[in-house]
Amino acid sequence: MERLNRDAVIAIVLLLFCGVFFWSSFEIRTPDYGVLKPSTWPRVIIGVMSFLSLIYLVQSIRGVKEVATAGKSDRDPGIRSWISYWRNPLWCFGLFFAYLALLPVLGMLIDGIVFVFVLMGVLGGWDGKKPMIHGAIAVIAIGFMWSVFTFGLGVLLPPGMFLGYF
Amino acid sequence: MEHILGAIEVLATTEAIILMLVGVAGGLIAGAIPGFTIAMAVVLTLPFTFNMPAHLGLATMVSVLVGGLSGGLMAGILTGIPGTPSSVATTFDGFPMARKGEPGLALGIGVWSSFCGGIISAVLLMTLAPQLARIGLEFNPWDYFMLVMFALTITASLSGKNMIKGLIAGALGLLLRTVGEDEAAGMARFDFGSDALLSGFDFIAVLIGLFAFSQLLNDVRDPEMAKKSLTQTGTVRVKIEHRRAIAEILKRWSIVIRSSLIGVFTGILPGAGGSIANILAYDQAKKASKHPEKFGTGIADGIIAPESSNNAVEGGALIILMALGIPGDVTAAIMLGALLIHDVVPSPSFITDEPILANSIFVSFFIATFFMLGLQSFMLKIFVRVTKIPMYMLATIILGFCGIGVFALQNVTFDLWTLLWFGILGFVMRHFGFPLAPMILGVVLGNIAELNLARALAITPDLSPFITRPWSLFFLIIAVFSALFPMFQGHREKKKTWTLFYLPVACFAVSIPLFMMSGITRPMLATIVLGFGAYQLWRRWQMGWRFEAAK
Repeated sequence: MERLNRDAVIAIVLLLFCGVFFWSSFEIRTPDYGVLKPSTWPRVIIGVMSFLSLIYLVQSIRGVKEVATAGKSDRDPGIRSWISYWRNPLWCFGLFFAYLALLPVLGMLIDGIVFVFVLMGVLGGWDGKKPMIHGAIAVIAIGFMWSVFTFGLGVLLPPGMFLGYF
Repeated sequence: MEHILGAIEVLATTEAIILMLVGVAGGLIAGAIPGFTIAMAVVLTLPFTFNMPAHLGLATMVSVLVGGLSGGLMAGILTGIPGTPSSVATTFDGFPMARKGEPGLALGIGVWSSFCGGIISAVLLMTLAPQLARIGLEFNPWDYFMLVMFALTITASLSGKNMIKGLIAGALGLLLRTVGEDEAAGMARFDFGSDALLSGFDFIAVLIGLFAFSQLLNDVRDPEMAKKSLTQTGTVRVKIEHRRAIAEILKRWSIVIRSSLIGVFTGILPGAGGSIANILAYDQAKKASKHPEKFGTGIADGIIAPESSNNAVEGGALIILMALGIPGDVTAAIMLGALLIHDVVPSPSFITDEPILANSIFVSFFIATFFMLGLQSFMLKIFVRVTKIPMYMLATIILGFCGIGVFALQNVTFDLWTLLWFGILGFVMRHFGFPLAPMILGVVLGNIAELNLARALAITPDLSPFITRPWSLFFLIIAVFSALFPMFQGHREKKKTWTLFYLPVACFAVSIPLFMMSGITRPMLATIVLGFGAYQLWRRWQMGWRFEAAK
């Protein structure tokens, strides 16, 4: 039953998503030229997607087995258990978000090293010699990639405030 | 022939050879590590090829692809865990053979089968792609639009039991592609007041986010598994037994040819990739065998079939990409991205307009297959070392690489945000059982579909050519029948009467556009298809409209 409800919720979210895009399609300006209006193709897709989402919703409510996501979750109910179960992906998202937010300040090289070092620590632990090993790996891996792109391929990567100063 | 020689000339440089060797080696390792897919390896190679001349960039990517296709067998045979979905069936007999004390022979058979599959596929790619491109020249905008619709429908229908989710994913991909200025009229769409959204989502950032980023998050989801390495055992000492392997393969040459053809055909079919081909080839080899009961116990036939077929798949997918500009699977979609980065737009005229570049792709596919053979023994040692690295380390480093690589594509920070959001979207979609392949094809093919629709309507606002033009009608009919296929499969198991008519009606319907085509060959083909449909109907009538008893 939990699975069935989840599918129904996803279908409703998809329908809302279609609604937002359909509403937004009225803001698309129509030029004087061309036969196919710029809003026509997106509206056709939204129409098809809404229809499919509606079928998905009906199927989930009626309990069609194929629609329900296979496999039963191996976690207990509750928010703590949810966070604990998704701990690693949540850390990855959060740290990548921080990496992007700090990019203008730290620059690609330092930010990349810090990101890899912290993420390795969070995923692999901080005990024993691990911080040292993680640090070395972060410096070598990101330093190597940064060098390949900067010196080998001539790509101008964001220097950040510190390296940009020099 | 002169174009092939021209292509060999541009690839016969030290730089090209080194890049191809590195590409094959990287592909072999990426393909060998469970959790890292071939598509991921190819997509991560893209940023490196950005500054290279088109022929070198594409040769490198083709090499990664060929290496990745063969890498999966190392993990599958030595650890029992398939490196890629394309090598799942290899483990059925490869791993038992290795456990019986013959890992060197198992690897040898796998390597040489991969080689044979790759060569057969390369030859077919070089011969069939130009022929198919000639047919592609007959296509008008109506036909192209319907071809894209067919590609999306069949990809969704092949994405397992959840076809509705596959179709939603495909539509979502099409919709997300419309964000930004539209290519036909230059009007802003769904930018929600943001300047960054005005230029739309970068297609490569979307691909890396959806495929690589989300896959890495999946790999480290379980904290305990993330800390483990692939093998906890000591050093594995294996020597590939080439001579014995060749002898075993020569004894079973028919399996090699049949499986390679299955691979090429599966590759040509949009949406069906190596993951389907290897199982299909294994199943066919088992059905054709005099000793099917021995399959799964560690016999050579069970390694030859999947390995020949999975290497042949990409040749098939490239045939469609090169000839029609339509990617057959996710890796071909990434190859299309690589071509677009180098300002090359694949279309039926691509092979004639850019003969050296087109042939350099064929030739690099061919050469990379030989490099793969030579590098396997060496990469085996590196693979054993890589398998000692915990998964979280590999995933973190690759996430760091993704960041630098995506930024390097256009030097735009917004692409990194695209990577993050699409990484999250891909992860959520995987979790809720939505297939990613239709969505990726939707993103890739979205503008091709819209542009062709705009062109068609600019020629005439009349919609009837969609059903009166033979090719358009042909694609429409096979799109409808492929959409019905999952329902047909489900209902056939329940022995519903209507399923008895599915195949005959499909044959009758397909014969209509074939009859409408000019020339002699196609109407003759239509007669054969019609005859086959009539025969199937007659057989069902003979059986009193009952289902055949299972053998």
